[in-house]
Amino acid sequence: MKDKVGAVLVVGGGIAGIQAALDLADSGFRVYVVEDTPSIGGTMTQLDKTFPTNDCAMCILAPKLVGAGRHANIHLITNAEIRKVEGEAGNFKVTVTRRARYVDSEKCTGCGVCAQECPVEAIDEYDEGLNRRSAIFVKYLQAVPSTFIIDREKCIGCGTCQEVCRADAVRYEDKDEHVELNVGAIILAPGFEEYNPSLKSEYGYGRYPNIVSSIEFERILSATGPYSGVVLRPSDGKIPKKIAFIQCVGSRDETTGNTYCSSACCMYGIKEAVIAQEHTPGVECTIFFMDIRAYGKEFDAYYNRAKEEYKVRFVRSRIPKVEEVPGSRNLLVRYVAEGELKEEEFGLVVLSVGMRPPKYAKELAEILGIKLNKYNFCSTNTFSPLGTSRHGIYVCGAFAGPKDIPESVAQASGAAAEAASIIASERGKLATVKKLPPEKDVSGEKPRVGVFVCHCGINIGGTVNVPEVVEYAKTLPDVVYAEHNLYTCSEDTQKRIREKIEEFNLNRVIVASCTPRTHEPLFRETVREAGLNPYLFEMTNIRDQCSWVHIREPKKATEKAKDLVRSIVAKARLLRPLKKPTVNVIPAGLIIGGGIVGMTAALELARQGFEVHVVEKEKELGGHLRTLHYLLEGEDPKEQLSKTVKQVMENDKIHVYLGAQVVDVSGFVGNFKSKIMFNGEEKEIEHGIIIVATGAVEYKPTEYLYGLDLRVLTQHELEEKISKEEFKAEKVVMIQCVGARTKERPNCSRICCGQAIKNALKIKEVRPETDVYILYKDVRSYGFKEDYYRKAAEKGVLFINYDDERKPQATNENAKLKIKFWEPVIKTEVEIEPNLLILSAATIPNPDNKQLSEMLKVPLTKGGFFLEAHMKLRPVDFATDGVFLCGMAHSPKYIDESIAQACAASARAATILSKKALEMEGIVANVDEDLCSGCRICESLCPYSAIEMKEQTEEKRVAHVIEALCKGCGVCGTACPTKAVTMGHFTTDEIMAQVKATLVEEIKA
Amino acid sequence: MSEKEEFEPKIIGFLCNWCAYAGADLAGVSRMQYPPNIRIVRVMCSGRVDPSFILEALKDGADGVLVAGCHLPSDCHYISGNFKALRRIKLLKKVLEQFGIEPERVRLEWISASEGDKFATVVKDMVDQIKKIGPNPLKGGIEA
Amino acid sequence: MVEFEPKIIGFLCNWCSYAGADLAGVSRIQYPPNIRVIRVMCSGRVDPVIVLEMFADGADGILVMGCHPGECHYLEGNLYAERRIKMLKRLIACTGLEPERLRLEWVSAAEGSRFADIVTDFTNQLKSLGPSALAGEKPDENILSCVRAAERAAGTSRLRTLVGREKKLTEEENVYGEKVAQEEFDELMEESVKEEYLRSRIYLLAKDESISIEELTKHLSADSEIVLRHIVVMKRRGLLKMDRIEGDNPLYTALEAI
Repeated sequence: MKDKVGAVLVVGGGIAGIQAALDLADSGFRVYVVEDTPSIGGTMTQLDKTFPTNDCAMCILAPKLVGAGRHANIHLITNAEIRKVEGEAGNFKVTVTRRARYVDSEKCTGCGVCAQECPVEAIDEYDEGLNRRSAIFVKYLQAVPSTFIIDREKCIGCGTCQEVCRADAVRYEDKDEHVELNVGAIILAPGFEEYNPSLKSEYGYGRYPNIVSSIEFERILSATGPYSGVVLRPSDGKIPKKIAFIQCVGSRDETTGNTYCSSACCMYGIKEAVIAQEHTPGVECTIFFMDIRAYGKEFDAYYNRAKEEYKVRFVRSRIPKVEEVPGSRNLLVRYVAEGELKEEEFGLVVLSVGMRPPKYAKELAEILGIKLNKYNFCSTNTFSPLGTSRHGIYVCGAFAGPKDIPESVAQASGAAAEAASIIASERGKLATVKKLPPEKDVSGEKPRVGVFVCHCGINIGGTVNVPEVVEYAKTLPDVVYAEHNLYTCSEDTQKRIREKIEEFNLNRVIVASCTPRTHEPLFRETVREAGLNPYLFEMTNIRDQCSWVHIREPKKATEKAKDLVRSIVAKARLLRPLKKPTVNVIPAGLIIGGGIVGMTAALELARQGFEVHVVEKEKELGGHLRTLHYLLEGEDPKEQLSKTVKQVMENDKIHVYLGAQVVDVSGFVGNFKSKIMFNGEEKEIEHGIIIVATGAVEYKPTEYLYGLDLRVLTQHELEEKISKEEFKAEKVVMIQCVGARTKERPNCSRICCGQAIKNALKIKEVRPETDVYILYKDVRSYGFKEDYYRKAAEKGVLFINYDDERKPQATNENAKLKIKFWEPVIKTEVEIEPNLLILSAATIPNPDNKQLSEMLKVPLTKGGFFLEAHMKLRPVDFATDGVFLCGMAHSPKYIDESIAQACAASARAATILSKKALEMEGIVANVDEDLCSGCRICESLCPYSAIEMKEQTEEKRVAHVIEALCKGCGVCGTACPTKAVTMGHFTTDEIMAQVKATLVEEIKA
Repeated sequence: MSEKEEFEPKIIGFLCNWCAYAGADLAGVSRMQYPPNIRIVRVMCSGRVDPSFILEALKDGADGVLVAGCHLPSDCHYISGNFKALRRIKLLKKVLEQFGIEPERVRLEWISASEGDKFATVVKDMVDQIKKIGPNPLKGGIEA
Repeated sequence: MVEFEPKIIGFLCNWCSYAGADLAGVSRIQYPPNIRVIRVMCSGRVDPVIVLEMFADGADGILVMGCHPGECHYLEGNLYAERRIKMLKRLIACTGLEPERLRLEWVSAAEGSRFADIVTDFTNQLKSLGPSALAGEKPDENILSCVRAAERAAGTSRLRTLVGREKKLTEEENVYGEKVAQEEFDELMEESVKEEYLRSRIYLLAKDESISIEELTKHLSADSEIVLRHIVVMKRRGLLKMDRIEGDNPLYTALEAI
């Protein structure tokens, strides 16, 4: 076999691809991201808000995009496609075609002057055709990379863009280019495409302007979208009074060939209705649905809020047809409700379109030699949800089946772990480490400030009188050098800055240009390369927040730029070098819980070369999986369980403690110390990370005679009975949502619908003549599970809907078990006498969670599951660094989803364990122990538990910052009554000086 | 200031790095025009804004102070700094009132990274409002 | 009734046409007195904005004259003039004014009689066409605002860039070494002219007070769907903003051009 290569190719630069790339790059591997479109970010960049927290999509995504764009070990190859893959796991040779972009990414600064001058307009795909862009364009305003691209189809070749480009970046002679990559593993994250709703001609999409797709509606809702976030009708620009959302367009629909459920549409539909209400108060939203599949964490709570707070109306009906009302251009929707045909007019109709595999899925599969499923999504299985049919190639995100963002992110991290395990031996070998000169000691020196003011082509210089600002800067105290640059960010200016630092012995550097959010890391690197501490650099924004927004007031803009420079000089004079604190990492992990999830995480970490301690409460490994006898998709859980247990027990890096319990945890990321009770003794373990994999438990029903009548069983008990071949009932009734979706527990348990369908199908297999009734609120067989729902219905399983107003009733009269329920189609009360009543009991949090959460200082949800750092983008991280979660401890989920999360948690953990020492952000809080009164206010405020109290003297306890945990927000410093806490780089003195200098024109020398 | 010259308020804006500052950047990228009266001080989190910064700014003659952070409840990069800012500013406004300074001079806003237009509108609105209120009474020297 | 005497403005290039007109004089060739000549150095100097301004001021006809192709003192100024006039005619056609009121002719320094013939012919043509809707005491307000919009459109960098590049792109080659087919370019030009014209009308209507799409649609007798699409693009370009919302109608206001 050939040598292994410490690099990974990620195909697709959406949120999944970026997450996988970041995890791998942060664990010491080189990553190539090949993205089809000109910029990374994918579908998420088009979204307005995200459910269930209504977070702004761009706010949470942008830092990741910038991070990926600037990462030394991530190479973005955009506007490119995979052509050929040779070799095997550990050593693949991949040919990539980078299509001509006609703009030099090294030179383009993304200033956008070319697009303003381009005379040709084209349809803007990013705004889903609701807007226009130029023939030379950037995908969206905050795009990474921000390099422009020429749309060769539309460009007439007039040459204007080249003439106006001051950075000399336009290259008309650019050609397609072939790039050869050598990688050890491949991760596929090409995402999905939306179902084209014009294929369902009965809805009139494309013919009637006031019917839009859900992704168009996202752009309509977005503040950066065509209507600036005000909901308007495309036909006449009026605000609609009534909006209809039609679910399952291109999903669960045999006429389209897409019989699967697209999983995310119910929630995004609800979210869009909620946000429409927020943006346009008073608008009435109606959602037409078949089942509301709000199956994820806290989704039902969101659904309930939509109904109660936002008054979104939900109507259970499939819509056969939509027609336009001539004149008003309103839309007539016909539907069936309470058994009657009704019609209603709406001002706007939103079609919740489903997810399809990417167009080029087949071609990609052929190039890669991987199998697709019957829908052309990537084929995977329950116990290997991230593996493709070819060893060394992994999959994540919607290409592995329709899913939402957190699921995609978890899969992405998981795929990163799988890829890393193949090439663990090559860790660090291809990662770039820059050699830097030693840092100069500038302590005691008088400040010598250098100021570099950027023209940004004409972007700043066209409005602000840049030379005047430079002359002004020269008059400011301690400024010993100032100059202006055409582009301060260009490669040659970086060289110049380094030279000037040398020549003038500068010990503070200021750049007045664009935004520090994108450019500060670059300049910090530059001053560091010149031997200065990077925190001796400061930046002020005279473009995005000055020249661009005061274009018609050049004089005032120039004055403002001077004020900004003056105030940042005042701050810079006070800057102190900061050390990035480092902490050593103990390369071992503690996993709490030895179910399939804990075992999977343990194996992943061990394969990557780390020691693992697995603490399991029970006397046996396996957890919940031990109770399963067969699976919906057909795999054998028993075989998988024994295989996994064997692998764990045989792995010499994994230490298993059965019948054990964690009793104390102290320390912080990289350096935890835990005590476990094992065999009656306390044992101490040192480890760098913790993974919580404690699972969940089945609710013991108090409803429907459970425990009072032996014919009433839970789904698990039924499964046990069937597997023991003791099942011989003639009539079975199953009741869904027992203990779930109630007042006390509003959320869905996610797995019970699948369980019920699984058992119903099993009954039909072992005893086809048995009658099975499933009484449900919504059938939540999302994704490809929908196929099994259909199969069950075909086999004669009867699905009957009930709601909270008319719950089924179980009685035992004279030893006869009777179930009474309302049949909504024939509108009568029905009573049957089943031999067995099966309850789909909720999955509820492990009762140990509370104690564990206190010990680990991590939060729980209202319902008692563990609460991750961020529901959307950090699904397996806790806010506390170095602590992760996965599986049912997070929320109820299926085995494949739990396994993906287990892999994800191990990948996230590996970003820490793979480092000898962690370098933390230098901007952290500091406590002056003499000033500290020990009041503990800061300790209570810190969201990261980064402040602890320590004994200074016998009678005095003072606050102490655990630098490794501090994120530098400064909340503690602001709250401190004695001003004992200071924030590096944003000290009170620095901010005060900046404020003062802004307002008072004379700064004292 | 000559009598004829219109009063141009000076406004200090404390913007959190992750949402509000990004929103202000987006206003720029989208070339949304707003009055040049604001000077922005970047802080990592709105929860970092010490009431003493605001008092200092008012003492030094700022006619208005804008504090802008991430939307409630959960946009905050630091989990809950925005809530802390909310509490502090509420309190501060009460104090200002007692001192005879119009509490409207201090404004707290939630601005997301995609709300460039909101940022521009807030600045415009604030400039108009403060023009109506008139210059900061502390301007031109006072023992503080 | 007094016979209608059209007012004609003639833009004559210094080197050929102006000399041709002089020759007509020297040769005592008679032609109607309706033309007022403005000397320019080259027919290529005649800016569409100026031509539209003259129409707005009530000119019944405008005659642009330059050197015959190949004889331009400035090599190709006349050919640029030709392209510009073509674009201008497209624009005029949008306004409701007759495009025939604008005419381009080549007259050399030796063609005194040709100059006279053209002036005579153009005068007669205009006489049968009748006075311009913008001439006289009571100009047609609606057409006037259309011509003002056309004037604004003619000044946009999009149309100016396209006109300026047309000759090179269709006759020589573009930056990729390809020639753009004339029909393809004409199509692009037609579309761009119509769009910029409509946007200019929207812009001018939204200039003094904020206006709803409903009102715009009435003024422009255009489809509201199309008006909205233009508004979206104009907002992106910083030409318009949503000012406020009245009932279910957002109102838009023009912003000063950046």
